[in-house]
Amino acid sequence: MKLPRFFGKKRGHRRTGSQAWGSFGEGLFYAVLLVSGFVFGGLVLSGTVAYSPTDPDTVVLQHGYDWWMWLLTLLLPGALVAFGGSGVMRVIRVWGKSEEHRAASMGLSELLDTMGQAAQDAPGHPGVPTCENLVNSPGTILRYRLPLESAENWTLIGFGLFALLWNAFVLVLAVGAGLDLLSGKTDWILFMVLVPFVAVGIGGIVVFVWTFVLATAVGPTQLEISDHPLVPGGSYDVLLGQAGTGRFRTLEVFLEVEELATFRQGTDTRTERLVVWRERVKEWHDVELAPGGRFESHFMIDIPADAMHSFVSKHNSVHWRIVLRGLSESRPAFTRIFPLVVFPLSVASVRPPVHSAWQVSQ
Amino acid sequence: MTAQRPINDGSSEFCGNPFSTRYTQPGRITPMDRFGRPLNLHGILASLAELGGTAAIQGPHGSGKTTLLEHLACALQHRGVCVVRVRLRGMSDALKALLAIAQSPPGGMVCIDSWEQMGRLLSSLARGLAWVRGCHVLVTSHRVTGLPLLIDCQTSHPLLVAIVRQLPSHEIWHGQRIAAADVEEAFEQCGGNMRESLYHLYDRFERHGREVPDMPVMPAVSIVPLRSMKFMKPFGIFFAPRYPSAT
Amino acid sequence: MNDAAATTNGDMKGLARVSRAIAAASPALAGATASPRVVLQFDHTSRIYQPHESLGVRYRIEGIDDEKVRAVERSAVWYTEGKGEEDLEAHFFERLFGQDAVATAVPDGSFAIVLPTSPLSYEGVIVKVRWCVRVRIFFEGGKDFVSEHVFEVGQIPPARNRREPLA
Repeated sequence: MKLPRFFGKKRGHRRTGSQAWGSFGEGLFYAVLLVSGFVFGGLVLSGTVAYSPTDPDTVVLQHGYDWWMWLLTLLLPGALVAFGGSGVMRVIRVWGKSEEHRAASMGLSELLDTMGQAAQDAPGHPGVPTCENLVNSPGTILRYRLPLESAENWTLIGFGLFALLWNAFVLVLAVGAGLDLLSGKTDWILFMVLVPFVAVGIGGIVVFVWTFVLATAVGPTQLEISDHPLVPGGSYDVLLGQAGTGRFRTLEVFLEVEELATFRQGTDTRTERLVVWRERVKEWHDVELAPGGRFESHFMIDIPADAMHSFVSKHNSVHWRIVLRGLSESRPAFTRIFPLVVFPLSVASVRPPVHSAWQVSQ
Repeated sequence: MTAQRPINDGSSEFCGNPFSTRYTQPGRITPMDRFGRPLNLHGILASLAELGGTAAIQGPHGSGKTTLLEHLACALQHRGVCVVRVRLRGMSDALKALLAIAQSPPGGMVCIDSWEQMGRLLSSLARGLAWVRGCHVLVTSHRVTGLPLLIDCQTSHPLLVAIVRQLPSHEIWHGQRIAAADVEEAFEQCGGNMRESLYHLYDRFERHGREVPDMPVMPAVSIVPLRSMKFMKPFGIFFAPRYPSAT
Repeated sequence: MNDAAATTNGDMKGLARVSRAIAAASPALAGATASPRVVLQFDHTSRIYQPHESLGVRYRIEGIDDEKVRAVERSAVWYTEGKGEEDLEAHFFERLFGQDAVATAVPDGSFAIVLPTSPLSYEGVIVKVRWCVRVRIFFEGGKDFVSEHVFEVGQIPPARNRREPLA
């Protein structure tokens, strides 16, 4: 058997052994898991069945199990079947197939993915994200209202859920300890466990409230756009509405392109972001908002004619977005991000659109 | 201002950044010792056999453990050994490793990356299980495992230089877009972590080719992986920003 | 842009401009013949195409013994390159196996495809999108050899080269 050449400069992709043999071991492993799952599950099921002592032909359940006991007992064989089955299917799907062949064929997992959620790619535009979520909200003046996407919202939801679930758990423990106390039983271990749990629960509520105050300190921002998706060379009308009270020292609107790359780093998976292009679209200083008031502004954004379209794949993406950055007095600086989708310019298009609902209405 | 436009016009066999993941991921780089000399994989496999087939590859972060493990796994497969690869990202993956060992045939090899994720109890269980099954375990770890030590991966500046020399079209861009001083600086700045050094050199290669200022106003942000915040793991989905199509 | 390839009178200049295979032969073949390589030619010498445009390719596989080829795969794929994990998707894929089918693709072959609307080739900073044609040859005995030849779709300028640098 020829030994692989590991030394020397490696150029390109050279396989010196059979991929089939490598896949065989993996396939065997998953097949054994699958069979084990069926055997184990069968043993569990058959073990609960017994024959009636008076009538050997009648099968009765000698041991009565609760529904949750059934679930628990069948969990392990179920996991083995699922794990083994999916592994076998994957090995069969990639058996003897080159990288290009695997990319070209649609396996069951991809089919299931597309059934379970909206298709990632826009129809007719491979690698371009769909913009369904960006065009399902009509604007009041312009055609579409863009959804807001900010890390602070997700952080707020995360902290809120954590505080809710943790304190619900603490409440259950506290009620149990209280009932014990009322019945004259004092479980000191439970009380000792409760103290740090309650402390964490209170801390969670405090953090959530603080995050909520920060997120709502600056009023809501609305952004409407005259058309979506965008195309290179196009000009689009944008309406910005910023609510709140007090004085904003600066308000800036940027049009940005950001790249995202996800990679493995040891045992972690990390995502690196990099803004590769930014254009300051509009800037205001010393904006005063009366209580109940709202700052509004109309402006145009231009997508460069030679711009890269929005792109998305499993580990990499290129995103377009409008970013509002503000600095207000007595409040921390805030950032509001509104995602955009830029399609590639179709060959059929003669001229990219210039959308200005404002001009039309006048 | 014109940035270099990579065109494969036949005069060069390569276009792009040689420090891309495509050319530096485990399996693409020849494993070497700390002096930058190619490792004798046959000799290492012989040592592994002498140790009984079960051993550990130890070393700090980014020292090439996974790269070496991948090459050894391929070499064992070429010799007809049934090899299963398991990558541990956390203790929840420990079951995967245990199952792999439990189902491995006698004489088989289970290659486990990041063995330290198993924890003491589970790793003892895994070792016992492997002994019972008659199979072998080859692992990578950041710390002492208690398993026989196959090789201790260490990094050095000569090693990074040797890795860089392996990358595509080295003779074309070295000295122009990446100088020897850049490699040395990368090694120093990244504390000897080869993986981080290669990422650092990736950024440097890009900057030199685009003639842009070194630091953008918005520096690249590495989002702290939620897996490292173990108690937050169930809420991971709420921290992931949703772009037009979530990845 | 529709330059005809210069192939008359054995003109090797056009063929010499094609990209060479970046893979080498397996050691098993070294003894019998020279290392295999694929000399490939695009119908656009600039190798720049537009979306929806037709892409034609001719190639010649050298350094192999025809009888040992079990199958040939021809594909046009786009892949990502950069700091992130590599993603790959095939726009065109064709597998030829069996003596008759392989004979049409080895040692000389050609194919033509229509390129899609997207994605366009992109030279980003941490994310790049590349298009290439791949010819993969499977030999008897399980070994295979792949040759990759990059081309461009669209003419997007490299990132970080726009009117307002980050400031």
